[in-house]
Amino acid sequence: MKRFQPVLPLLTLTLLAVLTGCGKKDAGAGPATAANPPVPSFPGMEADLARTVKEQAAFYAFKPAADFATDTAGLTWEDGSQLPEFADPAAKKGGTARIWIPDYPRTFRTIGPDATGGIRDYLLDDVAMCLLHRHPNLPGSYYPGLASSWAVSTATKTVFFRLDPAARWSDGHPVTTDDIVFSFYFMRSPHLGDPWYNDFYAKTYSRLTVYDPLSFAITLPELKPDLLERAGFWVPYPRHAFADFGPGWLDKFQWRFLPTTAPYVLHDEDIEKGQSITLTRLTDWWARDRKFWRGRFNPDRLRLVVIREPDKAFEAFRRGDLDIFGLGAPTLWYEKLADTDELVTKGYVEKSKFFNRTPQPNWGLWLNEAKPPLDNRDLREGIHYATNFQLVCDQYFRGDAVVMSTSSDGFGWRTHPTLTARPFNPARARELFAQAGYTKQGPDGVLTNAGGDRLSFHLLSYKRPGTDDILAILKQEALKAGLEFVIDIQDATTAFKTMQEKNHEVAYIALNIDAELYPRYWECYHSANAYDTPYLPDGVTPNPARKPKPDTNNMTSVANPALDALITRYDHATTLDEIKTLAVQIEELLHQDASWVNGWAQPFIRLGSWRWVKWPEGFNAMQARDAVEMFVFSIDPAAQEETLAARKAGRTFPPSIRVFDQYKQK
Amino acid sequence: MSAAFYSRLSPDTAAKFRRFRRIRRGWWSFLVLLAFSALSLAAELLVNSRPLVVHYQGRWIFPTYGAIHTGREFGFDYDYEVNYRELQTRLAAGPGGDWVLLPPVPYGATENCNVGEVFKPRPPTWSGRHFLGTDQLNRDILARLLYGYRTALVFAVCYVALTYLIGVTLGCAMAYFGGWFDLTGQRLIEIWSLVPFLFVVIILRSVIPPSPGWDLWVLLGIVTLFSWISVSYYMRSTTYREKAREYVAAAQVLGAGPARVIFVHILPNTLATLVTFIPFTVTAAISSLTALDFIGFGLPPPTPSWGELLHQGTGNLNAPWIVSSAFTALTVTLILVTFVGEAIREAFDPKHFTTYE
Repeated sequence: MKRFQPVLPLLTLTLLAVLTGCGKKDAGAGPATAANPPVPSFPGMEADLARTVKEQAAFYAFKPAADFATDTAGLTWEDGSQLPEFADPAAKKGGTARIWIPDYPRTFRTIGPDATGGIRDYLLDDVAMCLLHRHPNLPGSYYPGLASSWAVSTATKTVFFRLDPAARWSDGHPVTTDDIVFSFYFMRSPHLGDPWYNDFYAKTYSRLTVYDPLSFAITLPELKPDLLERAGFWVPYPRHAFADFGPGWLDKFQWRFLPTTAPYVLHDEDIEKGQSITLTRLTDWWARDRKFWRGRFNPDRLRLVVIREPDKAFEAFRRGDLDIFGLGAPTLWYEKLADTDELVTKGYVEKSKFFNRTPQPNWGLWLNEAKPPLDNRDLREGIHYATNFQLVCDQYFRGDAVVMSTSSDGFGWRTHPTLTARPFNPARARELFAQAGYTKQGPDGVLTNAGGDRLSFHLLSYKRPGTDDILAILKQEALKAGLEFVIDIQDATTAFKTMQEKNHEVAYIALNIDAELYPRYWECYHSANAYDTPYLPDGVTPNPARKPKPDTNNMTSVANPALDALITRYDHATTLDEIKTLAVQIEELLHQDASWVNGWAQPFIRLGSWRWVKWPEGFNAMQARDAVEMFVFSIDPAAQEETLAARKAGRTFPPSIRVFDQYKQK
Repeated sequence: MSAAFYSRLSPDTAAKFRRFRRIRRGWWSFLVLLAFSALSLAAELLVNSRPLVVHYQGRWIFPTYGAIHTGREFGFDYDYEVNYRELQTRLAAGPGGDWVLLPPVPYGATENCNVGEVFKPRPPTWSGRHFLGTDQLNRDILARLLYGYRTALVFAVCYVALTYLIGVTLGCAMAYFGGWFDLTGQRLIEIWSLVPFLFVVIILRSVIPPSPGWDLWVLLGIVTLFSWISVSYYMRSTTYREKAREYVAAAQVLGAGPARVIFVHILPNTLATLVTFIPFTVTAAISSLTALDFIGFGLPPPTPSWGELLHQGTGNLNAPWIVSSAFTALTVTLILVTFVGEAIREAFDPKHFTTYE
């Protein structure tokens, strides 16, 4: 899923955190439709829930338990049991994993304002259980979470679930359909204070049918190739912990740690305000021996330490105060923790590079077509030829990064079989600029047109390690084609707001893309997200009075009726084959439109970890976007003691620098 | 200094100048700073990717200032600015008596000097003429230091001028007119001085988009908004003292207006002490520009600046030539300015001219 936030700094191992549990998220994407009817007096959560269920009988259906068998007759039940595990079932439990976070959380809520900070990975996204989960090595396959089995009825666009009878909240309460009903009530409630969820849960699901405490079904309005994932890949909330939910709940729940289905809980005494938060593993976690869950979540404690500066965090890692540190930046991997570094040569710290295969953040230049002269296609194509991301990949990332072929790279299949980025070619760029009227070279080497306008654009981005360097490289190279970039680096919030309001000319940004089965195009490329009224009533002619639509992710303001039609068909496609065919056509149109200049991607993760951090064979799961996300590592306290003693005494171990390329896309 | 120079000054001022010259540490610091400044103003002739002279097919070309010359003019197949180092190599190998005379350091401040190689800091080399090494984008550090110094110098000079213009005018006016004007002015200043400077800088920088050529002036304007307050306090108190003296009353009786009294009569009598503040204001200007660049709210990249170099240096401690160059340059400059400041203060110290009877 596309994340409606810019890519966060590559500060931590947890860099590409998903906004909400199991990927249901997108802050601020579509229009917020939450109605906020005035509620004179709130009768309490249970009473309000009962009333809501009654009022919305078309959505909440309750059927006798006996109907379950008849409704599911003829359907095939699945439980993912034939799939291979991706963790090491023999991994040892124990030890404390110390991980850094750049800010102290502003809330322990996992939903609502301020809830998308880095700590949510450890409270929800990476740890809590959905009904079912994507198999990270086999896209399109699912393994059980809270649901022990499921059956899909494509005819009725419904997925039937059976909850695992053993599923428990961390306080011992069983997980039942009461929690499922509550979760829908909660996510659709006007008191939630998070319009995105209101909208998502209102539009994505059309009915919830409950049969008994463990059996229920979810119906979607449309048949989708990933119907099962849409129905089952979300985290329920515990009904019994929300007795005082209602208006004002955001404040009441600000610092409340709620019962969870995750293996880690937070005790009050483990909170050091402003400094650290330590989570403790539930030794009797109900899923600890379940297939796909065993061998994961191994450390007894997760200590999340607040370190506000990446450089300081790196020093803390070198001291041994942190166990794992991401070395994505070339300076970290090649210089600050070079292979010749004493920590590495003496075997205390191990370096690993793991090629993953997962949708990549789409770094690139987003040209805003709503800002003339960027409405000129030739000029935009010229900017493609004038932008040297190849140099950035070769010499800034030292050959490790690749120029993206399309803005949707990294899915299991190529969204277009042959398209690649236009190469850097100043001569070709000048031809195209000349076609757009920029023919005269000024004294500073920048082209001008007959009206005296210089070929100069503001290039907006935000503070993030490396951004100023990359943009400085692009600026210098672009001048070879007579194009000037004026670099404007703002703080992240300001920059992203400017881009979402479509007030930029050229933006350098990426959206995080969740590991869904196929890419989304509507958010970034449909005219409905570009302008209020994109076309005149004929549906084709651009409306001369149209206004850019704020707060959407169509940051190129592309509005093309042919593209709109394709995207609509794409969004209503029912099979993956259809999706793939349409994606090729969409990508072709996007390539012709030339409003997104292909940037770079690093299709791997790399990190340093102290010798006592143990990894399974093969290191990680294919779709792992950071080393911690899948929680397949373990901490070996004996090795920790041994290493620290050896370091003190000057004894060494064989160095370990490993590359895992089994998932490298050839 | 010549006798003619002194003879044009009032005896009092001339005496102060003589005293200043006799304080050798301050005087030499002053000369060194002057030399640095002169060098930086002529930076294009010393450190530049453009040559001083090109002799090509019978033409004499002086590319240092003015429009770019494209590669095509010199027989290359591209339309952007010619790479003169490449041209030099080609002409030197060729037959025809053409040549290129490059400056002592043949690199620009924003230029990738190692085309085709990985971007990473490289240590100083004498043969490559990177006397202070290169930074993480393969740019010459000496070039960035020198051009950065010029930026800082221009900034400091304008900062001092603006700060004193506003501070002196407002300070004098408040004291001279007194009454409700003074009262209101003081309260407004108190409010103004409580505005958190850094937040305002951050907000204003995000509202005002960068615009090549104007960024320095915008930044100067923002910083100056807050810098004049202490000067105005000082001028207000001295003016209160001066305006009670007879010569002010005499001027008023003769019909002089407020502007004349303030600028022609009061100001010259307070100038001596005001001058002693100037070097410290210069220090403040350089420090704040460097600090703002360091935290990323100064001039937009890739403008050469000391703060940006320091920032790079602290992030690349394994490339010590970056941080040591920037740190040394900054420290030396600030120390020299401080020496000058001390010398001026001593030279202008009224105790040397007052005797008690």
